[in-house]
Amino acid sequence: MATSTHAPELPRKPRRLPRLLADHDWFGSILVAPAMLVIVFFALFPLGYAIYLAGHYVDLTSINQIGDYVGLTSFREALTNDAFSSAIRTTLAILVIALTTEVLLGVGLAMLLNRLKWFKGICRALFLLPLACAPEAAALIWRYLYDSDFGVYNALLGMIGLGPINWFGSSLPALASIIIFDVWQWTPFVTLITLAALQALPREPFEAAELDGASRFTVFRRLTLPLLTPVLALILVLRGMDLARLYDPISAMTKGGPGSATETVSYYLYRVGLEDFRLDQASAMALLVLFVIVVVSGLGLRPLMRAQGARARRG
Amino acid sequence: MRARAFTPWDIVRQVLVMAILVAFMFPLFWMLMTSFKSYGDILVSPPRWVFEPTLNNYVDAFQKADFAHYILNTLTVAALSTAIVIPTSALASYGFARYNVGGGNLMFFILTTRMMPPIAVVLPFFMIFKTLGATDIGSTLGLGLDQLGTLVVCYTIFNLPFAIWLMHSFFQDIPTEIEDSARLDGYSRWQVLRKVVLPLAAPGIAVTTIFCILFSWNEFFFASILTRSNAKTITMGVGDFWTQQGVLWGPLSAAAVVCVVPMIVMALILQRYIVRGLTFGAVRG
Repeated sequence: MATSTHAPELPRKPRRLPRLLADHDWFGSILVAPAMLVIVFFALFPLGYAIYLAGHYVDLTSINQIGDYVGLTSFREALTNDAFSSAIRTTLAILVIALTTEVLLGVGLAMLLNRLKWFKGICRALFLLPLACAPEAAALIWRYLYDSDFGVYNALLGMIGLGPINWFGSSLPALASIIIFDVWQWTPFVTLITLAALQALPREPFEAAELDGASRFTVFRRLTLPLLTPVLALILVLRGMDLARLYDPISAMTKGGPGSATETVSYYLYRVGLEDFRLDQASAMALLVLFVIVVVSGLGLRPLMRAQGARARRG
Repeated sequence: MRARAFTPWDIVRQVLVMAILVAFMFPLFWMLMTSFKSYGDILVSPPRWVFEPTLNNYVDAFQKADFAHYILNTLTVAALSTAIVIPTSALASYGFARYNVGGGNLMFFILTTRMMPPIAVVLPFFMIFKTLGATDIGSTLGLGLDQLGTLVVCYTIFNLPFAIWLMHSFFQDIPTEIEDSARLDGYSRWQVLRKVVLPLAAPGIAVTTIFCILFSWNEFFFASILTRSNAKTITMGVGDFWTQQGVLWGPLSAAAVVCVVPMIVMALILQRYIVRGLTFGAVRG
């Protein structure tokens, strides 16, 4: 209501239009129509097609490609598929560890940057760089940094008497390599957003706290953290959704290996659908993932975007 | 601001930030170094910090891998999809911001389409474009596997929700009083949009455009699945040097530099708006 605006009505001749068209909203609807057409057509049509694929026997290596209607078989198989559940576990493990590290490191860094004495602007600008890089290109470079023979990371570890680590030889280092890469690329995301939020905090409560002689820790715990909570929640949801569909670094660095140690859901579905060409099973699993993500984003994102928007409008 | 001397904490903070900064910049620094190293300087252990720089890797990137072709493809796709996204999203986000179409539900539905895992879209797309590419309409419009039109479609649906949300935040920043007085001056609603609102929203439109180009340039998922050679984009091209026989790290680094540097420049131009862009307009930086 607050966002719609109308000029005070000028006196004018009564129009002979049907009520629907005379209503104010038709202009807005026309503005929105082209975009809605594109979105509905290009997003919902593939979705419907995915449901169709999931309901039939689809094997691109067979002659018929799209075979008989099989009902919910593919969904049932998806729920009992061990490789799928293992991919979900891998994705969740990467998500939880990477997200925790990114938020702790990112918020810490933002607090440091916020009170930085020298070169604040330049430092802030430089932290942008990892974010701007194409994840796939950056991940290929990281593959070289991790290389067990010529990689500079093992050389650096050697200087302090550690390693060498065969990063892609076994599961844990391989998972770590993916997580470290993601932390490198996305911690700046957390930092920059938190920094912006820190700089937009109201001054008065902090001045009052100072007058009351509150310790720094108390101020952080009682004042800064609660005020940052909405932004932190937004970061968690946005980043969580990105991590839930992690693909680029997996494709560039490990191809899901060794074995299936770093196989995320997106990479696994790619393999089933476009390497084994079982589009029915891949579509069924993709729809299940989609359902979960839409529910999570519905529950998590909506109030957060609303809160932030309202906050921004209040100024 | 009152001038005051620095405290020891200022120095501790500075040192910590600098240390973290070095760690974060190091991979990019090493990429740049490697791109100027000759073959012999790359495959040595321990890695060399001092070497004789050469431009051969860049020559290789453009000669052995047809990088010019990939860049042209990427620019074409980015330009076409952005040309579709910007006008449609500008109109739509203004409609959402001022006429509150759908009462917020539609806006949120649009955001959900962006949150869909791309794998759920790409599998049906693979089949759709495979079929479409075999038809006359498909081949004329470039809609098929390994065709540029296909990527334009993908990047359009990928960027449109983002553009609507980001621009929405810019339209909200324009005070409604200006529009009201223009209406009182006898402008029609369409004239208000064209002559008053759009000029005021120009910075926001520019920022959104740059973001869309940046995302299209950096996109890899759709490109890797829907293209092979003809419509290959730059992020795909970087992987060219990852061959069956081994990895050519020198040319690969040079290619990565070519891929990464323009977007770093764009991000620096966008600096003031980067936080707003990354949060779909929710956090004004």
